[in-house]
Amino acid sequence: MSTAILPPAGEVHAAPGFSEAQFEAFLESRGEPAWISQRRRAAFEVYRQKLAEPLNPEEFKRVDLRAFQPARFAVSSAAAAPAQFETLLEKRADFAGAVSHIDGRSVVARLDDKLARQGVLFGSLCELLKTKREILEPHLMSRAVRPEADRISAWHAAFWTGGTVLFVPRNVTVAAPLYSLIGLSSAGVADFSHTLVILEEGASATLLEETGSAGSENTGLHVGAVELLVGAGANLRYVQLQNWNHHVWHLAHQAGAVARDGSLQWTVGGIGARLAHIHQQVTLEGAGSSGEVNGVTFATGRQLLSYYTQQTHKAPSTRSDLLYKDVLRDEARVVWRGMIRVEAEAQKTDGYQRNDSLLLSADCRADAIPGLEINADDVRCTHGATAGRVDADQIFYCMCRGLSRYEAMHMIVEGFFHGVYDRIAVEAVRETLSHAVKRKLGIER
Amino acid sequence: MPEFEKVATLDELPPGERKSLVFDDRAVLIFRIGDDVYAVEDVCSHDGQPLTDGKLEGTAIECPRHGARFDVRTGRPLCMPAVEPIATFEVRVENNEIYLRGR
Amino acid sequence: MATDMKATVDEEVGVGEYQYGFHDPTDKYVFTARKGLDRDIVSQISAMKEEPAWMRDFRLSALDIFFKKPLPTWGGHLGDLNFQDIHYYVRASASQERNWDDVPEDIRRTYDRLGIPEAEKKYLAGVKAQYESEVVYGSLQEDLAKQGVIFTDTDSALRDNPELFREYFGTVIPSNDNKFAALNSAVWSGGSFIYVPKGVKIDFPLQAYFRINSENMGQFERTLIIVDEGASVHYVEGCTAPTYSSESLHSAVVEIIVKRGARCRYTTIQNWSSNVYNLVTKRAMAYGDSLMEWVDGNLGSKLTMKYPAIYLMEPGARGETLSIAFAGKGQHQDAGAKMVHCAPNTYSRIISKSISKAGGRASYRGLAKVVKGARNCKSNVVCDALILDHASRSDTYPYIEINEDDVTIEHEASVSKISEDQLFYLMARGLSEAEASSMIVTGFIEPLVKELPMEYAVEMNRLIELQMEGSVG
Repeated sequence: MSTAILPPAGEVHAAPGFSEAQFEAFLESRGEPAWISQRRRAAFEVYRQKLAEPLNPEEFKRVDLRAFQPARFAVSSAAAAPAQFETLLEKRADFAGAVSHIDGRSVVARLDDKLARQGVLFGSLCELLKTKREILEPHLMSRAVRPEADRISAWHAAFWTGGTVLFVPRNVTVAAPLYSLIGLSSAGVADFSHTLVILEEGASATLLEETGSAGSENTGLHVGAVELLVGAGANLRYVQLQNWNHHVWHLAHQAGAVARDGSLQWTVGGIGARLAHIHQQVTLEGAGSSGEVNGVTFATGRQLLSYYTQQTHKAPSTRSDLLYKDVLRDEARVVWRGMIRVEAEAQKTDGYQRNDSLLLSADCRADAIPGLEINADDVRCTHGATAGRVDADQIFYCMCRGLSRYEAMHMIVEGFFHGVYDRIAVEAVRETLSHAVKRKLGIER
Repeated sequence: MPEFEKVATLDELPPGERKSLVFDDRAVLIFRIGDDVYAVEDVCSHDGQPLTDGKLEGTAIECPRHGARFDVRTGRPLCMPAVEPIATFEVRVENNEIYLRGR
Repeated sequence: MATDMKATVDEEVGVGEYQYGFHDPTDKYVFTARKGLDRDIVSQISAMKEEPAWMRDFRLSALDIFFKKPLPTWGGHLGDLNFQDIHYYVRASASQERNWDDVPEDIRRTYDRLGIPEAEKKYLAGVKAQYESEVVYGSLQEDLAKQGVIFTDTDSALRDNPELFREYFGTVIPSNDNKFAALNSAVWSGGSFIYVPKGVKIDFPLQAYFRINSENMGQFERTLIIVDEGASVHYVEGCTAPTYSSESLHSAVVEIIVKRGARCRYTTIQNWSSNVYNLVTKRAMAYGDSLMEWVDGNLGSKLTMKYPAIYLMEPGARGETLSIAFAGKGQHQDAGAKMVHCAPNTYSRIISKSISKAGGRASYRGLAKVVKGARNCKSNVVCDALILDHASRSDTYPYIEINEDDVTIEHEASVSKISEDQLFYLMARGLSEAEASSMIVTGFIEPLVKELPMEYAVEMNRLIELQMEGSVG
């Protein structure tokens, strides 16, 4: 029941926790230029201040963090071992590039030559900040995820360990998808991976990212951030499939900003984690921009998966469309709290939100809190939420046709998710999600 | 069925006092009322927030926010706005030691 | 010294002329408590009412709770409320009247303007008129009295029906429930007490009118309705208030118990003038196979925060709430509904319609909750909002908490402006834009208006027209 964190024999671990002493030790271990250290220090100050203030009740009311003990985790100081990782997405498509981080350390960073020659950057944040500072610095944690947002973003901004960067120059199209892995391998490791995607005007790309644990028992912590900056007329498809084991704490700030006539299609998969809380923001900044958000979550055991989403319309003729579908079982809990905010200038906005929950047991619990704050009048905004269980008649019908109860349940759950699968343009992602759900249902091993 | 685990000692819990702890990955509140020890999950069934500092009257704890009261022996709700019980844990006291069994 | 009916137009309201913006001189009041709130005032209120000790103690504990609780951090802006700058008790006339002619003349005149005598003739079984803090006028038709129906003011009920009163008072909304329930529990005065015995069905609505008259006056009525098994009642509450420049506070508590197989409908048309803070806690507990309905119209006030709730306690209980909110210039209507399913086979429905114009803000805030074990429940929520111009604002904050799998829960909401197609169609038929908009808005709120007693429906539609006129042209 109580978890003791013991470093595996032979590994060097920094003292766990995130106090001032640990922060200084961490800074020293990085060996980074002054401009990065300065930013980290400022963020650490904010983190300490925010720790003394309560968390935003509206966001965290349903997320009980009392069993969460940050002091049990530490940033890994060991050299990264290229662990054998079981991944979901990696083998399912021909990727034009791949970036992997295990325990916060960069392990793989490759990109097709052809794309590199066109000026595409795809690699590790630590490396690219050294060689391409002028391209990345203006965008890093200044436009999408802000360190001052709350204690979690400040914590991340102080301790970020590395991450995946994608930069696509003007009018370049990256046709094949790119792959990114955030992995946790040893017990008690804290990963602070940062994903930064910048698409210049007219660019286009697809990035498929997944998180994974090397074993099913190791505890871990991920305090992450994702920034998706979509330029005018650009088009980005981004997927994050969260597939930790059930002992990882996942706290993340994820934000996308879309410029004039740009479009963002963002798919979120929630399969693993003991507790995941994701603050997800999409801002339609330029006229004619659009953002589509798809969520597929399947919570079992005693998992708590929480999504705090915002769709903010700041310009006219913008469109956002969010669909989260969750399946719950055992004593699991899913919380979705979403807001569509339309500013006064955002006339002719179309904003949609929908959440459907399918409850497979009597003890699970779904909370859905859609929201609308509308300051313009010439808009069309709707939201909907439903909750219910599998129809017993449907199961009976399937079983009469020779399916086992498991198979019948699977068909129905597949059918439930279909509404959101249909919106996902990338075939590999659809297949992967479907497979992950099937495995969790207990059909495949 | 889960085993009993030691969580505290009687010395740490004088009569009339309470103690907050994390047990079985949950926030739990244990009370000593006279010579008896009771354990409840530290979550009000009305608004899902902590009961930690609520007033204890006899065997009833009152939620500080909206006045819902619960019997700490059984978890039963005693007045509005609570309509659902709170979770309780089996307690065993042996020698000086307090044990709880997970749910 | 009657004031002109058309006088006292408050420019801030933007409604055109507020036809109920008149007031009577206040120097005839028998007793006015000094401004402010403390244990002395509360004890004084209890002493003046000659209450039993338990009620005085109840008030004093509630006062302690009120001082300890913080203001809510959500909802409307309460920062300008100064609790010490309010009179908490004013008694307008020394005795409760039974015959219309015995009521003091200016008070009678006020009610004449509000049309009570006609209303009584046509529709009513009895009327409770609250002028300031005491119930001045009441009459109860004899046949209802013979059937054992009790319809009186809450103060009288405490005195005349103490056991019945004490059995239910404070059981639905305890003092600790929220800051304003605590305030009301400390300083409550007046309100209606209704008891309908088993099997008695009252065919026509029981009504009450309320008024706030004196400047800086607070209105803290406490209503308690008990509908015994198989009985049925419809209670209608409508309010008006004069227009003043300093603030008025209305913080009422309504508790309703609907027993097995009984029916209760509670209709409110709230039309306070734009200086009033209207912060109300209303809750009903519905038992086996009963039906509880809230029909809630919010047209007036500077800020309303009100979320009528129904706890469905036993199998077969049903709850329905129809809510309409109209927020004009300078107004914030933060209204909605709560449904809590505590037992299997329960059903709830919420229909909310809101309109905001001329910079007004209409917010829907609601809850649909199903506790574990409440199998085979259905809940359906529909919220529609119309924003009439770019200065106005609309919000929707629904909360859905489902802890049981065998349920069917549906919620949908939409926000939009008046459809241009509809406007074009009506204008092509000779209507002005104002008339066309008005017609569309009337159609928008029709599901609620058709549930109102006739005179309220007429008043409601007339008020909407007034509001619309102010907005276009």
